[in-house]
Amino acid sequence: MIAIENARIRRALKIIIPFAAIPFTVLLGGTVFSARSYAFVSLAVAALSVALFISGFEKKQTGARRLVIVTVLIALACAGRFIPLIKPVASIVIISGIYLGGEAGFLTGAFSALISDFYFGQGPWTPFQMLAWGLVGLFAGLSSGVLKKSRAALLVYGALAGAAYSAIMDVWTVLWYNGAFDIKLYIAALGTAAPYTVSYAASNVIFLWVLARPFGQKLERMHIKYGI
Amino acid sequence: MQGLAFYNPIAAAVYFICAAGVAMFTMNPLLLALSCAGALSFDIALRGLRGRQGRLPLFILFAVMALINPLTHHNGATVLFVMNDNPVTLEAFIYGLNASAMIIGVLFWFRSFSRIMTSDRLLYLFGRLSPKAALILSMALRYVPLFGRQAKRINSAQKALGLYKDDNAIDALRGGLHVFSALVTWALENGITTADSMSARGYGVSRRTSYAPFRFGRADACLTLLCVLLAGAVCAGLASGALAFRYYPRIVSAPLSPLACVSYAAYACLAALPTILEIGESLKWRCLKSKT
Repeated sequence: MIAIENARIRRALKIIIPFAAIPFTVLLGGTVFSARSYAFVSLAVAALSVALFISGFEKKQTGARRLVIVTVLIALACAGRFIPLIKPVASIVIISGIYLGGEAGFLTGAFSALISDFYFGQGPWTPFQMLAWGLVGLFAGLSSGVLKKSRAALLVYGALAGAAYSAIMDVWTVLWYNGAFDIKLYIAALGTAAPYTVSYAASNVIFLWVLARPFGQKLERMHIKYGI
Repeated sequence: MQGLAFYNPIAAAVYFICAAGVAMFTMNPLLLALSCAGALSFDIALRGLRGRQGRLPLFILFAVMALINPLTHHNGATVLFVMNDNPVTLEAFIYGLNASAMIIGVLFWFRSFSRIMTSDRLLYLFGRLSPKAALILSMALRYVPLFGRQAKRINSAQKALGLYKDDNAIDALRGGLHVFSALVTWALENGITTADSMSARGYGVSRRTSYAPFRFGRADACLTLLCVLLAGAVCAGLASGALAFRYYPRIVSAPLSPLACVSYAAYACLAALPTILEIGESLKWRCLKSKT
């Protein structure tokens, strides 16, 4: 375990994970866990993708200020998960992706999922949540030019991200329950999750509508004042 | 003998990966029954028979999920009865029962996981894997309650200024946003102070070290090895097809081979291990107490 603190082995991980570990889990899923191979492979690949991203981040030189600001955003997103009914998590993830870049967005999403699950219960869904929220932040960062300029695009992105998050998590529910993908069960799962989907999408739109501008101004100000 | 919570976090994590990992991805009914029995008995050993957070919601979830499958899936050879022109089959019913047993078993394993793998233990694990991720994790875990307290302080300050009232929902929401805005500014400025202080103390100059109150001793090595061996035996049984079990169209089980017996015995040991450790610990405690 101590060996992973070694920079060379960490660099090797970047090659091992996509070219050895992921094919190996697919093989393992086909032979050992054949009854649930889809669920096993998807969970393992989700966890490994997050690990791959973090090992890339580990290698990079990140300034202390940037690191702490990302941490502050993560903590704000987690604290926001305690608000009943409406959840500002995804909107904070989107905002951090837009103003601090895709990598910061991914980290905010992934760690918000991990840390808030300390309070709401860890489970096999944690890697999926980390990946789903991380991707919401990553794509927000990649399309930050458009999202910064047009408020309509931002709100549409927020609504889509809320719906997509729910849809991705339901894929996992079905895979895990049924062993293979089943459209009937998926539709049933989407149906039972519909209130949550609507609340995710709606709270994203509400929070982005209210928060995006002042929050963005605060982050811009940090940029001007401290050069982050 | 000591409970699982007293072992090194690495050993405990390996145990949970082995026990819950097998239970999460198999559909063999005997393995699932063993997993449920092990997870439930461990939960009882940890929280007592009347656990404060009720187990009842999980049992209700079990019943609901067991019924979803026969109502949505209609394949299977043995028709029990016909409902709304759709046959409800025995095979679909038993499959649903097993799928839901798997999910409930894993949820119980994770209940114990949350109890044993507290945030400092997970931090120790992450610190081994990625020091930077561990730093983010530990700071964010500290910030969450800190921000909660600060939000309360800002709230009372604004109340004292008479800036808003809690009359109606819209006014309350507006007030909440005022508090949130002040909190964000404070949190960002406070973060910069923290970061500058970190840089001043040499963050980023060399590799970060951290204090860990855990040592990987001989007992931890034994537990890790035992878990890996037992899980390996179960995986061998699963991979060779000795534990194969088919639900559709008819329930077919692979004949009971010696390898299957070994695998079942191995998983039974694995599932019962933490409960045995926990009971051994409490017996030892009782013996020591009665002597004085």
